[in-house]
Amino acid sequence: MIPASWTGRRRVARLLLLVAALALAVSACAPDEGGGGGGDSAGGTVKVGFISPVTGFVAALGTDMRRGWEMYWQQNGAKVGDVTVQTVFEDDTGDPEVALTKARRLVEQEQVQLVAGPILANTAYAVAGYVAGRGLPTLQMTGADDLTQRKYDPHVLRVGYTSSQSNFPAGKWAYDQGHRTAVTICPDYAFGWESCGGFVSAFVDAGGTIKRQVWHPLGTQDFSTYVSQARQANPDVVFVGSAGGPDAILFYKAWTGFGLKDKIPLVGNCCFADQVFLREVGDEALGLQSFTYWVEGRDSEVVQRFVQAYEQQHNEIPSLYAAGAFMMAQVTAEALKKTGGKIEGEEFINAARQVSLSDSLYGALTFDDTNNVVGPVYQTRIAKRDDGTLWSVVENTFPEVSQFGTEGKEAFLQHPVFSRDYTGQ
Amino acid sequence: MTVPRWTAAALAAAGIAAVVAAPYVLPSFAVYLLTLTFIAALLAGSVNLLAGLAGLVSIGHAGIAAAGAYGVAWAAVHDRGIGAQLGVAAALTLAVSVVYALTTMRTSGIVFLMITLALGMTVFGLALKLSSVTGGQNGLTGIGRPQAVDEWWQFYFFTAAVFGLCLVALAVINRSPFGLMLRGIRESPSRMTSLGYSVTTAKFVAVVLSGAFAGCAGVLLVWNSEFMSPSVASFPRSALAVVMVILGGTGTLLGPLVGAGIVVAGEYWLSSYVERWQTVLGAVFILVVLYAPRGVVGTIAALPRRSRKEGT
Repeated sequence: MIPASWTGRRRVARLLLLVAALALAVSACAPDEGGGGGGDSAGGTVKVGFISPVTGFVAALGTDMRRGWEMYWQQNGAKVGDVTVQTVFEDDTGDPEVALTKARRLVEQEQVQLVAGPILANTAYAVAGYVAGRGLPTLQMTGADDLTQRKYDPHVLRVGYTSSQSNFPAGKWAYDQGHRTAVTICPDYAFGWESCGGFVSAFVDAGGTIKRQVWHPLGTQDFSTYVSQARQANPDVVFVGSAGGPDAILFYKAWTGFGLKDKIPLVGNCCFADQVFLREVGDEALGLQSFTYWVEGRDSEVVQRFVQAYEQQHNEIPSLYAAGAFMMAQVTAEALKKTGGKIEGEEFINAARQVSLSDSLYGALTFDDTNNVVGPVYQTRIAKRDDGTLWSVVENTFPEVSQFGTEGKEAFLQHPVFSRDYTGQ
Repeated sequence: MTVPRWTAAALAAAGIAAVVAAPYVLPSFAVYLLTLTFIAALLAGSVNLLAGLAGLVSIGHAGIAAAGAYGVAWAAVHDRGIGAQLGVAAALTLAVSVVYALTTMRTSGIVFLMITLALGMTVFGLALKLSSVTGGQNGLTGIGRPQAVDEWWQFYFFTAAVFGLCLVALAVINRSPFGLMLRGIRESPSRMTSLGYSVTTAKFVAVVLSGAFAGCAGVLLVWNSEFMSPSVASFPRSALAVVMVILGGTGTLLGPLVGAGIVVAGEYWLSSYVERWQTVLGAVFILVVLYAPRGVVGTIAALPRRSRKEGT
């Protein structure tokens, strides 16, 4: 320790005081805005920021998204009319804090005019809130219901379906098949609540009874207790709303392990029997029924062209996430055609909302007045392609399904958003 | 202490000057990263208070920060003013800190580590499950900053000021008899007990005190992002705070700031160019632990002493 003399200490104190005073004086006046955001499109290019998680626990989804987005521009060229679309990619690692910071970087530093993505509900809310707050348009593909419902913002367009949307037809269909009682199994967080909410509200509206709602934690290893709970209730039909991944696979293994495969009819949601699931489960999955909007085996030129090109390049059948990002790119391009290559806040979203596609990866699409897709939902079955690969094919089409089910906007928005406590019963 | 007083003062003056000048010379995004660095450094500083003085390493401090953040978020969503926001945040932070303190005050080492880990996971789980209050996985939106610090540069100065004040407070605690008592407990709890100190009480106070700083970090965090979700309480957030402390130098005053700078640079700047930025950060961490176990600041602070010894 150096002994401190009084003079030394006083000099130090005086110096610090001086600096602090200076600091206060300087910080009282505002600096120039460091980065603008928006701005005119220079030299016939528009800059689009694309955020998806390519590292972290949902890296697989984010990688597929990037591939889907790139595939569109590859197939159609990056030039729309006179302008060239330039994409700046960012990784959000699946964390909202990171997603928000990356969105700031894109807007303030890269000066992008439009932000597309990310995918997880919480990251999407964070990004959409910030981007819309800056007056810039953003395209989203996450399922979180409220993004285009109770938290609707004119700067945000969802090129996709809400988590509950594709399950309304499932509930109605199950009742029409003669099923009167049902059990639902969903993961215990927002996506699961909303997925089950869609099925339950439609099933109950039609006149059915829910015997039990089983909620399992995300990342459950052993599904036997949940499967046996479902069995004990002895329902006519079981609905499983899954976010895919290991949960879906482990659930289905427990389900078949209990010998329930041919005993109780099982209906899945959009994301239950995806390609990851099919590769792992194999032939045991044949015949499995789901309700979804992305069907890789749908008999449509648009879909088959995409699947073929994607398979050639990446050696696997494209997932829902690849298709979703491809759709965002397509809507971007279509909207640019309408605005003559300009991207200006709400106007761009208004133009994008007018986009209507007679056929797309999702089928015939329009948008409703709170910026969500109105489009077909398909009842699918797992089948074998000619080369022996498992994929989904269409059994039935339910056209023009709205995010508000059959209730209409006003009545629907009277309810709270679906949660563990409220699934529309 | 080994650095001459005038050098320290000159460095401090230069530091303050740089902090003040930043928004005038740097683009807004870089200033935003600095804001994030200060907030992260504050959380790391609260971890460092326990780790550096009492030798108690917590890997659940994000849970306490989240308590403060949820306090502000909840009150803001319910249209309460700043006073109410801070009040709810303080109450929640205190409540959670007391739980942390009560459950860990009789432990040390690996047991302390595991209990804080469990508590952090508990807060994370509650944040996910109590969706009617926390918004669950979707989080809470529509949280505005206080009017006076709404602009990005205003908020930067505000954050820097709060961080500066906390730094002074941490320095005071460091030199206080209480700080000395914690060091004594770290070296030999049994001797401190026989000298008449209450080890459990000291640990209780230390955890609650450290929780206050973590709570401040949480409040700044939520005002900064104007959004709140359970990931603030997640394990990676807690773990990164410990990484920052070790990178910067455990027990040093400025270590957490330097560590936070390195981590933020990796997470938000490097990651735009290198997809495997975590690998780079991991490699840096290993190198620091191997070749500069006292951390960046700890090693630099020891340099003058070593060179003087070699010189004579």
